[in-house]
Amino acid sequence: MNFRAPGRADALASAYVLGTLRNRARTRFERALRTDAVLIDAVQRWEERLLPLAEALPPVAPPARVWTAILARIRADPRTPRASRSAWTSLALWRGLALTALAAVFALAVGLLVTAPERREGTLVAVLAAQDTKPVAVASADRTGRSLTVKLIAPVELAANRTLQLWALPEGGNPRPLGLLPATGVARLTLSGPAEQTLRDVPTLAVSLEPQGGSPTGLPTGPVLFTGPVQRLY
Amino acid sequence: MAGDATAQVQRNARLMELLARTALADQRAFAELYRLTAPHLYAVALRILREGAAAEEVLQESFVNVWHHAASYVAAKSQPLTWLTGIVRNRCLDRLRRREIDTVTMDDDGEGVNIAAEGPTPLELLLAGADALAVRSCIEALEGGAKQAIALAFYQGLSHSELARHLKQPLGTVKSWVRRALERLRACLDSLGVTR
Repeated sequence: MNFRAPGRADALASAYVLGTLRNRARTRFERALRTDAVLIDAVQRWEERLLPLAEALPPVAPPARVWTAILARIRADPRTPRASRSAWTSLALWRGLALTALAAVFALAVGLLVTAPERREGTLVAVLAAQDTKPVAVASADRTGRSLTVKLIAPVELAANRTLQLWALPEGGNPRPLGLLPATGVARLTLSGPAEQTLRDVPTLAVSLEPQGGSPTGLPTGPVLFTGPVQRLY
Repeated sequence: MAGDATAQVQRNARLMELLARTALADQRAFAELYRLTAPHLYAVALRILREGAAAEEVLQESFVNVWHHAASYVAAKSQPLTWLTGIVRNRCLDRLRRREIDTVTMDDDGEGVNIAAEGPTPLELLLAGADALAVRSCIEALEGGAKQAIALAFYQGLSHSELARHLKQPLGTVKSWVRRALERLRACLDSLGVTR
């Protein structure tokens, strides 16, 4: 399927959101949607156009067993934090991470250990991915260092006049820009202070699609393509 | 739920806050988010899947997913209910796809398409939805057949071939109705400022 022909991305995105894009065409489209920023943007716009129309449906109360089942599942999930934190909790958290993500983290951690001029005490790592999909980028920093290294694992398709921008999403505050990312390769971003302090209140990093040169407003203006929780390996 | 605009804004702000707190693993916020949105989302799934058990499963999977991925909402641009509706609809359409693959050997011109008999018709829903968003003129500008096709595809999850059977039209006709209607909707909705 050619997603690059003019108007094609938008036509496919509209059929995808309406629901008439089916079967193998839908599967292929979803695969492309993981990394193609043009498609992600087109889909998000069509969702804004069409999905609010669903609010006309008269609400129907679901049976109580649905909520019971949801609660049971999230409580049984090792990724759900427990009330008390212990070494075992963080172990469980690790086990919950996708295997691919783990592999990426370890490959990177090993790389850092090999190349680091001196041994540091710990590393911050975030594996960035679109929802439910394979990692697209890994961000990492020495906890005492002032630079954040971002490695694109999968190349991202970008229109010529667009760029990727990395953000820190602090708890209860506005996103803070961390820097621009290339569509492929490795970026080295300078932080305003040591990573452990700059990212202290930041549970999540995110990548948004922005006009060339980055967001003109200091806040994300385009769709958020990838997010990932910040893991503190210390 | 037509549009007291202030109530809408307040509801969205509340849902955003609940999503943000859910991203921080706050189970009480998550429970409140469920209470406020599940009846709407369940209605969406029921219409498309036309089967209570399947709709319950989709609702369950969707909220488990929201629990783990609420952080990916935080800075997103869409309204919270739009984001949630997208998650539920995609899972419904995945299920329809699996059903279609499972029944691929069945003939294509057998029994008609089963449309929910209760409640408003898809066309009534489309007009009511458009009214609530103040975009009724965009819907009314569509031709009759195209309007029907969009309503049936959107609310009931009908595929092109199901639309062709239900509307008793050739497949090619229905496909071009839908394609042209979407193009016209895009131009009309965007001129009314529906998207950023």
